[in-house]
Amino acid sequence: MSHDGLTKMTKIEVVVAGADASAVRELFQTTGATGFTSLSGVSGLGHHGYHQGRLLFNEQATLELLITVVPDTSVEALLAGLRPLLAESSGVMFVSDTYVSRPEYFT
Amino acid sequence: MSATLAVSRGERSRLRADVTLAARILAPTWPIETFIAINPLGGLEDQPFADALATAAEVFGARGTLDEAAFRSAYRAGRVTDADLHGALARRHPQALAMQPITLGGRAVTPLELLLADLLHGEPAPPPRRSCATLSEQIAPQVAGTVDAQTTKWCAAFLDAGQAGWAMPGRELGFYAAWRDLAPRDRSLPRAVRERLQTLPEHPEDAALAALDALGVHEGERRDYLQAHLARLPGWAAHVRWRSEHRAGIDLVSYLAQRLVYESELLREHETALAGARVEQPAPRTPSVGERALDVARALGLGEHVSAAETTDIAQLLEGVPVSRRTLVWLDAYESHHRDPLLQRLALPPAPARTDRPAAQLVCCIDARSEGLRRQLEATGPYETLGFAGFFAVAIQFRDLAGGAASALCPVLLDPRNEIHELPAGGAQELAERRVAGQRALAGAQEGFHAAKDDLAAPFVLAEAAGWAAGPLAAAKTLLAGPYGTLRGRLHERAAPRAPTTLTAEQGFTADERALFAQVALTMMGLTQGFARLVVLCGHGSTTENNPYEAALDCGACGGNRGAPNARTAAAILNGADVREHLAARGISIPQDAWFVAGEHDTATDRVTLLDRHLVPAAYHAELDTLAADLIEAGDRLSAERCAVLPGAPDRPSPRQAARHVRARSTDWAQVFPEWGLAGNAAFIVGPRSMTIGLDLQRRAFLHSYEAAVDADGTALETILTAPLVVAQWINCQYYFSTVDPVVFGAGSKTIHNVVGAIGVLAGHAGDLQPGLPWQALADGERLVHEPMRLLAVVQAPPARIDAIVERNTVLQQLFGNEWVALAAREHPGEAWLRHTPRGWQPWTTPQESAR
Repeated sequence: MSHDGLTKMTKIEVVVAGADASAVRELFQTTGATGFTSLSGVSGLGHHGYHQGRLLFNEQATLELLITVVPDTSVEALLAGLRPLLAESSGVMFVSDTYVSRPEYFT
Repeated sequence: MSATLAVSRGERSRLRADVTLAARILAPTWPIETFIAINPLGGLEDQPFADALATAAEVFGARGTLDEAAFRSAYRAGRVTDADLHGALARRHPQALAMQPITLGGRAVTPLELLLADLLHGEPAPPPRRSCATLSEQIAPQVAGTVDAQTTKWCAAFLDAGQAGWAMPGRELGFYAAWRDLAPRDRSLPRAVRERLQTLPEHPEDAALAALDALGVHEGERRDYLQAHLARLPGWAAHVRWRSEHRAGIDLVSYLAQRLVYESELLREHETALAGARVEQPAPRTPSVGERALDVARALGLGEHVSAAETTDIAQLLEGVPVSRRTLVWLDAYESHHRDPLLQRLALPPAPARTDRPAAQLVCCIDARSEGLRRQLEATGPYETLGFAGFFAVAIQFRDLAGGAASALCPVLLDPRNEIHELPAGGAQELAERRVAGQRALAGAQEGFHAAKDDLAAPFVLAEAAGWAAGPLAAAKTLLAGPYGTLRGRLHERAAPRAPTTLTAEQGFTADERALFAQVALTMMGLTQGFARLVVLCGHGSTTENNPYEAALDCGACGGNRGAPNARTAAAILNGADVREHLAARGISIPQDAWFVAGEHDTATDRVTLLDRHLVPAAYHAELDTLAADLIEAGDRLSAERCAVLPGAPDRPSPRQAARHVRARSTDWAQVFPEWGLAGNAAFIVGPRSMTIGLDLQRRAFLHSYEAAVDADGTALETILTAPLVVAQWINCQYYFSTVDPVVFGAGSKTIHNVVGAIGVLAGHAGDLQPGLPWQALADGERLVHEPMRLLAVVQAPPARIDAIVERNTVLQQLFGNEWVALAAREHPGEAWLRHTPRGWQPWTTPQESAR
């Protein structure tokens, strides 16, 4: 697969309970991530069974998906905080290579 | 260089994670002006209730239930019976109860008799003691006190919301940076400490890590140590946690960095070397099973005649009910004594369905106080009432006529995205301008008066200029609270006359949003047919004087605000022709002659004000007048009912006298019991009004209307259980924990409260920010008005539907599975109640009923 002209970076996706999302966002920001995307009310099947998606009047009781892209040099610092956090939460984390066209947006 | 940087950033990141995990023992607390009832142990709801109490005892030294002396006193008063205790033992310790009788002194004594003797006469368990202490607490308590005093000082200065005469310099830089700049100049600290504070690192994480290192806290101990510091002043820490989620320039890392720096630096100055031995406090004495067995034998009249073998047999039995779990048995029994009769009353044949069209329908908030109003109104005339969360499904940012900052009027579980403005009604522009000008003049005068009081020289001038009037005014406010309140209200009315207004409901919501809201609201409350000509959406608020906890008495579903704007918005939407067309297309036909009206119930005065009369067509005015008169009559009767339990209220007053009394009470600036709020709340009932109509539930139940038949897919029930029930459970837990441990979870006595920074209160002039409810919201002296019980949810819906909802919602699995909330259900009226248990649905019966 060709990625001519693109810059390699790392994408980190975290799915956590809405109540834990602010802690993850704070970690993203304090470890140098310049931005993130969040999707609230995500549903799915996991280790703890099925999770309901969007609830009409409760945005805290559902799962939230948070996505950020960071330069490879920031990955370890971010993971150092996320690992213990997720070890004691019902959340999951996916780390993968990604390619971006505007690297200056992410550094 | 980059590797060093990465390691350093990783350490900071790791510390932040540790702080986050340590802070799970804290539930964020809101500023007092929008007091939100929360479960102080909300962060532990993923644990069984009993385990969470054990954690709270260890970390905070907090009591999680009433103590055994209080339960035994309740037993002597008949509030708990042997049958209640039998049922509780059967549910909690069935194996112990199923053991063989023991022969004692030639008589076969049943396990029940022995366990009851232990519960009633055994040596009480020792009070909980905080076992996670900071180093300074252990070796130099005066240093721990200084750290706390510094924490209070800097947090109060930084978080001040306009009360302080001088703002903390550098607040815009954030808490850590501002404190780092100012702390070295604090002359209350030793010179050497001040000098070392000049070299603090730029990042709070680095300062915290260095301090932890100096204190000898290793990485494996770090989280517990951070937790010990958070639990030392849990009120401040919990409020900082809330602030950190609202980008207020302070977070728990900077809060802890400040505390840890002070502790490490002050301990360096202390005579006690850091290497010195920690003083171990002796563990509190817990009676052994052998001692308990002897107590039981004595209680059974066997005295010293019990043999060693018999003592061993008793001890073996008692091992099945550890002393630490006895209060949970008591709590279960205490709850059963309320729950069993309640469910029996709810099992009575339902009221016959109404065949005529009601004169009006009143949709009240689920708030337990609405139950009294609904019951009294139904007794007054041919009215029908319903219950729904008081924000009426419209989550709004509201800006009133005067402009200013918008208020979030919705449950805190939601982030409101629709902004609603109040505008002058057609032709009322001039009057509206007079009102706004009058309000600004009154606010300016009040602000000027307070500013003058706080100034350096102005108080002398103020005393000269206004002192002659202040004394008589204060006397009038105190001695003639009622007439003074009436007079002041009239003067306010004259200065800022009421002006008819409208809300921008059409502009604030898209057509699709309005249609969705209307459909959801009506389906959730089961009001899809049988509409009256007048349907009143009745929000609520509370008018009290000189009461920092005023917001605690307002509507929780409206974020600790008054609910009128939500009711007005919802009524406007439901009167919209386009919305009604949409509803009709989905099978909800609102008759053309049905009109929605907004109202607001003042829970301190029992007055219901019908709002926006200028928007109501003239054809309804006569009916509206009749309804208004009946609401006054119902309110007066409710006042008489409430006077029976309000301290200092007249004895057996007529409804008129009672109404006058509660009105005077609400304007009395010295009144510490303006109303009882939600004290006594114990149940959350989901079902049609036919389940509860005619029953006096004593304002102790949240009532949510629901018709299972119009909710085949369970969407409405899922919304009720995941939002209104959650809010009700927070309220219930706030009252529960504030009662069982008023020192750790409550707010102590109002009489020594000082408002600090307009964010909360201190008991006295220093110490922790008081996190919960004041004692005067829970008890009258030693007499508990709030009986601390966990919430009982009663749902009339198919159990399989409830199971499916619980299965896909973790929040419900935790609440029901971990015993934070009990759940009873039945599908149809007349069927027996079922109890939700880990083993599935079980009959809700007492052991005596099972035996029959």
